[in-house]
Amino acid sequence: MKISLSWLKTHLDVSDTSVEKMRDLLTFAGVEVEGIEQHGIDSDKIVVAKILESVPHPKADRLSVCQVDDGSGTARQIVCGAKNYKVGDKVPLALPGAILPGGLEIKEGKLRDVVSNGMMCSGRELGLSNDHAGLLILDPSAPIGRPFRELTPPDVIFDLEVTPNRPDLLSHRGLARELAALTSKPLIASAPVPQPTERVAKDAEVKLEAPEAGPFYSARMIKGVKVGPSPDWLKQRLESIGLRPINNIVDITNFVLMEVGQPLHAFDADKLNGGIVVRKATEGETIKALDENTYQLAEEDLVIADKSGPVAIAGVMGGAFSSVTENSHNILLEAAWFTPSGVRRTARRLALNSDSSYRFERGVDAQQVLTASALATKLILELAGGEADAEVLVAGEAPHLTGEVVFDETRARELIGIPDLAREEMHRVLTSLGLEKLGEEEVVSSWRIPSFRLDLKRSVDLTEEVARVVGLDRVPSQISGAYSSSQSADRTYDFAMQLRQALVQRGWYEAQTLRLISHAQLHDVLGPPVAPEKAVAVKNPLSEDHTVLRPSLVPGLVSTAEHNIRQGQLRLRFFEIGRVFISNPNGSSREEDRIALLLGGPSGASSWHQNDPAPADIYDLRGVLEAIVGGGLEITPKRLDQWLLSAEIKRGSKALGWLAQVAPARARDLGARHPLYAAELSISALMQGAQQVVKFTDLPRFPSITRDVALEVPADLANGKIAAFFKAQKEPLLAGAEVFDVFADPEGKKLPRDKKSVAWSLTYRSPERTLETAEVDAVHNRILKALVGTLPAMIR
Amino acid sequence: MLSQLDQIQTEGLAELGAITAEEALEQFRVAYLGKKGRLTAIAAGMKNVPAEEKPAVGAKLNELRTALTQGIEEKQAALETAKDAEAVKGIDITLPGKPVPSGALHPLTRLRDRAVQALRRMGFAYAEGPEIETEWYCFDALNTPADHPARNEKDTFYLPDGRLLRTHTSTVQIRTMEAAKSLPVRIMAPGAAYRRDEIDATHLSVFNQLEGLYVAPEVSLADLKGTLEFFFQEILGPQTQVRFRPHFFPFTEPSFEIDIKLEAKGQESKWIEIAGCGMVDPAVFEAVCAKREDDLFDPNKVTGFAFGLGLDRLAMILHGITDIRHLIENDVRFLGQF
Repeated sequence: MKISLSWLKTHLDVSDTSVEKMRDLLTFAGVEVEGIEQHGIDSDKIVVAKILESVPHPKADRLSVCQVDDGSGTARQIVCGAKNYKVGDKVPLALPGAILPGGLEIKEGKLRDVVSNGMMCSGRELGLSNDHAGLLILDPSAPIGRPFRELTPPDVIFDLEVTPNRPDLLSHRGLARELAALTSKPLIASAPVPQPTERVAKDAEVKLEAPEAGPFYSARMIKGVKVGPSPDWLKQRLESIGLRPINNIVDITNFVLMEVGQPLHAFDADKLNGGIVVRKATEGETIKALDENTYQLAEEDLVIADKSGPVAIAGVMGGAFSSVTENSHNILLEAAWFTPSGVRRTARRLALNSDSSYRFERGVDAQQVLTASALATKLILELAGGEADAEVLVAGEAPHLTGEVVFDETRARELIGIPDLAREEMHRVLTSLGLEKLGEEEVVSSWRIPSFRLDLKRSVDLTEEVARVVGLDRVPSQISGAYSSSQSADRTYDFAMQLRQALVQRGWYEAQTLRLISHAQLHDVLGPPVAPEKAVAVKNPLSEDHTVLRPSLVPGLVSTAEHNIRQGQLRLRFFEIGRVFISNPNGSSREEDRIALLLGGPSGASSWHQNDPAPADIYDLRGVLEAIVGGGLEITPKRLDQWLLSAEIKRGSKALGWLAQVAPARARDLGARHPLYAAELSISALMQGAQQVVKFTDLPRFPSITRDVALEVPADLANGKIAAFFKAQKEPLLAGAEVFDVFADPEGKKLPRDKKSVAWSLTYRSPERTLETAEVDAVHNRILKALVGTLPAMIR
Repeated sequence: MLSQLDQIQTEGLAELGAITAEEALEQFRVAYLGKKGRLTAIAAGMKNVPAEEKPAVGAKLNELRTALTQGIEEKQAALETAKDAEAVKGIDITLPGKPVPSGALHPLTRLRDRAVQALRRMGFAYAEGPEIETEWYCFDALNTPADHPARNEKDTFYLPDGRLLRTHTSTVQIRTMEAAKSLPVRIMAPGAAYRRDEIDATHLSVFNQLEGLYVAPEVSLADLKGTLEFFFQEILGPQTQVRFRPHFFPFTEPSFEIDIKLEAKGQESKWIEIAGCGMVDPAVFEAVCAKREDDLFDPNKVTGFAFGLGLDRLAMILHGITDIRHLIENDVRFLGQF
């Protein structure tokens, strides 16, 4: 909402308050100042001048050399680039030394070798409008040589964001009332307005058919008005806050809206067919509104209608047909109160927001409807002539929306945290805000709430007022510690942070990707496929790219890889820890935190030391998994469509997640030059197996002995089977077994093609003594014999 | 005999001085001190030395043996030193090092962790809640009017079954109080929230918030002020200026917005809004009591403060990030900067 400082000054004397102080005052009243604009210019050096002569510039086609009369008696030469003037026009002239809004200082100088002693200005150059088409041509009656500010007084426009609980601030009078309370200054009394007699309307005049949505309506007939342009002062008021002047009648209704916050509407009474009916629209009814758009109404919409149909969308916008035009003579002035929720629903459904609906939605002071009507009537009679009916027709009753509140002062002090906050001070704050003290006891007082403060209903609401006005500066800062035991969420957080650190230290980048993904991205889900109808979908997505909640983190990492590949990045090491959303067969859904990794490309950049380092392969991924999963990692190959080398990741029998190679076709799609690998694991499953408190194992005191063995096995025998064999051995001296070489010969020369050679190193140790060679040999041979008997292996 | 020893000394030390290789040094040692070496031969000839000369010859012999042994050791050390220097010859330490692969935490994670650590120092526990929520947890329990604009399908993502994607982490306030076994409740809840905004330089449809809540029998604005001043000075620096501006939120009363003063070199300092806070509205406690069916959170007995801030926005301010989309693109050239 825009507020004009000069307009505000008609209600409150703030001449001693600087713009900066004003901003702070508003800010700490809870009104956000989103912008401050200087309009016009407060300078002696900008004067009214008359153009006496204009000839083309000898050296520049687009410039002219003008002689102007600045009132000094001597003609002044100005070089000018504008084209929109004629000799004899009056324009604002900035004399040397003038500083324009934006800081430009005007100096005497030469433009293309021709002397120019000042600058003729456009409206925009003076901070008046956005009109930059040419010079601001002034009224012929403007006095030559007088300061321009006498024609257009300078103003400051505040762009304010008023919180939804304070509709009473959405007008100049309302804001002045608040500032008066905060500065302890008196409001300037408004000029007296004659109040008409109220007469209850007959049904034929005004009929309320939907009192729950439109409980109160008033109509005032003004006959014989002369519709025409508004006087300058009124136009300037409206233009200063960004409203376009239409005609004197419409301008007055807008002025009153911005003056006191009451929306009004004026009908051309001669275009109305019969009396006013305030009713719900019937399905399919339409209305062409003032914005020239035709709106399809619904049964929930409240309309103002005559016998022919709707003439206004109640509280939102008037109809075009019955609007006041240059040809109107008799007008009917509406001032009413409509239920906020109804206006909000209609405005939203029609996507039609007006200054009127904005205020009705938030809540208008129902007790000032008739005052606003009288004020508008007075202005109409002054500016457009005509004669107003002595009576104002009223239907229904203005609702009383505020009442009395008992203020618990002890509790207020406790909540605010100023134990010695004086009762007198609290009462002074409330009184200044327009509350009326009805009585007081030892620690409570009771207050009547003014009709415009719809937000004050409970004791705590009054506490807020006191806290707001007193300000937080006076509240002491206090830190009260409390011991709170760590929750499982704390442990999960710590665990996830450790995982992150472990990966970052190993050269991985943490990504954070969007939780809403597209149907197409579901193809990148690592794990059993998720059909679009099985994903958790949003009912009202913004675009096709973000329609479902991700059931896996991998699609986001694939996009991350794609983005980075496009930027020329070869080394891809990304992980994400975040939430995924799984839909259950019964239609419900669950949320789970996971970690996913995506790996591809060389481990580092090419350098002078090593050209073209080898790209990562599946064993690099497995190595990282071994590091983060810890002991007990089991990889069980399991086929997944769309993926290669897919396998389930387990620890013991507990499933943790999946790993796989991205299908080469998909990798090519992404522009990848190297194979890509991905893995995804459940955080809670990972955490369950993670040992919380480690038990110490005594260090070996006696040396170990190792024996190597090379086995010839079928090429497709999984290493895991051999590992499982060794793990299952019950020999107490066998302390460990590790594969250290795998060899196959595709040529079939050193080894048949369907075989491979696997070399293992077996470690023997006793906790009690140094082993003898003979006893090791005995155990080793026993194990090998069992091995050959169990697996399709030959000792080489 | 003595003159023979003198000659050996002169010759030996000269020969030793000329040696430049370890093999030659070994040969020298053998030639002089070995079993058949020159000194050993002389020692063997001691028995033929007249008794009166023996002490002098013996002393000379020992002196010579010591001198040679010491000379050999020194030579050995010198040769090793020369060899060590030779081994690093040609190494140019001005060449770049072998690349150590780098990785990085996402800047939002770093910021969130700083916030979490600061709040933990003040005794806040970590809390969580679902991101798919019901209207009750997201709006009703938080005293949001039935026709509040935020509930609109234009602003909020809904699921077909009527549930929604939480629009703020304040839902965790309700979840936590609902499940609490005793007072005080003192929690922080970082998490994702959703708003139906088109993605552009300043908006994401999914963003990151941090919620805080403290409920106890006598919590006041003084606690709120002290806690949040401490918090922002912890994460943004001890010089950080914080101010509280009255504002409005349905679920707190009174409510404030928090601004911090941004001081950038060469620029006019300005106040930037970074968080919202306030004293928990009694209506929120009433909703919790109704749900719990007890009076642990009776608004006549407890008070509390709550706050919430946008981590994305704070990260942007802190690091001078001009386009919020950097936070979701995960470009290595971006991530690598933090």
